[in-house]
Amino acid sequence: MANFLLRRALLDAVRVPVCSRASSSSVGELAKIGNREWVGYGFNGQPNYVDRPDFPMPAVRFRADTPDIKVLREKEKGDWRKLTLEEKKALYRASFCQTFAEFQAPTGEWKGVLGWSLAVASLAIWIYMGMKIFVYSPLPESLSEENQKAQLRRMLDLKVNPIDGLASKWDYENNRWK
Amino acid sequence: MLKSASGALVNVLRKSLVPAARISAVPLRRSHGGPVESDEEFDCRYEQFFNRKDIDGWEIRKGMNDLCGMDLVPDPKIIKAALHACRRVNDYALAVRFIEACKDKCGNKVNEIYPYIIQEIKPTLSELGIETPEELGYDKPELALENVYDM
Repeated sequence: MANFLLRRALLDAVRVPVCSRASSSSVGELAKIGNREWVGYGFNGQPNYVDRPDFPMPAVRFRADTPDIKVLREKEKGDWRKLTLEEKKALYRASFCQTFAEFQAPTGEWKGVLGWSLAVASLAIWIYMGMKIFVYSPLPESLSEENQKAQLRRMLDLKVNPIDGLASKWDYENNRWK
Repeated sequence: MLKSASGALVNVLRKSLVPAARISAVPLRRSHGGPVESDEEFDCRYEQFFNRKDIDGWEIRKGMNDLCGMDLVPDPKIIKAALHACRRVNDYALAVRFIEACKDKCGNKVNEIYPYIIQEIKPTLSELGIETPEELGYDKPELALENVYDM
């Protein structure tokens, strides 16, 4: 009995519920593709279409089978040298949405991204200026040059750090820096 | 009891680890320390895969997508076999798309490798009546997509 229970537990742990996945999602995907032909294994196993350079053959044909495409497909079964260039292009566009050159073409989106990033960053400068004008009080008096000099003079008078610091660099006999 | 339980465990593990059937496009062994497939063997394997008489569009796409996911440019003889396979299943678009994909695989050496590929597969192209992407005007963007937000 314990043996049986152990086996059931192990099987339940490793088994993927295949039927439940297939019935729930695949039917929904199939409804989405309409009467497009499902011709291959999608990059995630679903009948979907994306132009990707690393997965160039999508699972479904891009266009649904219209009567004129069906005529072309019949013609495609014959000699390809007898097809005109327009028919070949129509066949390509029936299977695929964009060519490699098209889906890899630069979109120019980076210009907008860069522009808006700089615009938003500059907003921070406007906020800082607003704070400076309307919020912050003026800087304290002790930050003026005169006060800073007086502060330094006082530190020298107190002999701050006389061994290897500030006061060690001051010549007290001649009243200047060493 | 413990012995029988461990025996069952071994059976379950063996069933889950050893695949039931082998698929031809997948190498036999993916563990380290095994036999290493040489480039020639790889080319022959894919050439034979595309040369199968009963190949269907599903398998061709699978083989092409696998090749495009690898760090390599397919050998011209693989491309030729793939073009013949496209001819057998009557899919012109697939043939052009595969040449485009191979061009994309050349990366930044496209000016060195792609002319060589075209030169090698040229007889097959004219035999089957396949145009290169350049002859179809697909080396430059031809159509623009309508923005989905404007539809």
